[in-house]
Amino acid sequence: MSLLAWLVVIISQLALVAGQIFLKRAMSRREHGGEKARGWISILAIGIAAMTVWFLLWLGLMPRLDLSKLMPFEGISPLLIVLGAAAFLHERLNWRGWAGVVLTCLGVLLVSAS
Amino acid sequence: MHDQLPAALPKPAPGLFWNPYLQIFLTVLLTAAAQILLKVGADSSTAHDSLWSWLGLAELASWWTWLGILAFVASFGGWLYALRFLPLGLAFALTNGVHIFVPIGSWLFLGEHIGLLRGGGILVIIAGILLLAQSVAKAEEKV
Repeated sequence: MSLLAWLVVIISQLALVAGQIFLKRAMSRREHGGEKARGWISILAIGIAAMTVWFLLWLGLMPRLDLSKLMPFEGISPLLIVLGAAAFLHERLNWRGWAGVVLTCLGVLLVSAS
Repeated sequence: MHDQLPAALPKPAPGLFWNPYLQIFLTVLLTAAAQILLKVGADSSTAHDSLWSWLGLAELASWWTWLGILAFVASFGGWLYALRFLPLGLAFALTNGVHIFVPIGSWLFLGEHIGLLRGGGILVIIAGILLLAQSVAKAEEKV
């Protein structure tokens, strides 16, 4: 994998995590209703923009790398999202939740290693 | 998680269709379909020489790619709906179910082989998703 490919993969993963956090922020804010709900559409738009960046970069990576090279990054993304959600949304998982996240990531790595 | 659930997250409307977990399941199915369609679309594109081509714009010339995009957009509705009711980390981890359906779909439609390792990986993902489901059940018990 070339340096450029690594860079593109890292940027796409950052865009994915940021995008999902913005989407969640927007939907939570919308639930509040009234004054607090204002601006949720702008936050949603930022989230969708970040997801679009992720999507286009991912689309560009697909023909260049084997799916088996790409999938491990897809595999660790839930872990990145859980960490991002803990840092920016103050979400907490119990130990079963953590074990579940780690197992699913592991499974994705196995699927992609084959 | 359980100390945040009741205050921060609302209850969904009654009825199976409005269950956020069913919506995640639909999101997963549509995303798996999208991934396979995008792969077919990407394989049918040829130009990858300039820096711009990293943006995946050449792949937009294929109808398969557009079908994939359509499936992605459709999956987005269910995802946003689920986000209203579930914590992001948990909901996203559940979308790992995609990696169960992509190999199965690739086997059915693209003729890809599912070996021992891949089959084992699918089982590990299922175990992980069951653990996640349990973690939700435990959290809701405590509420």
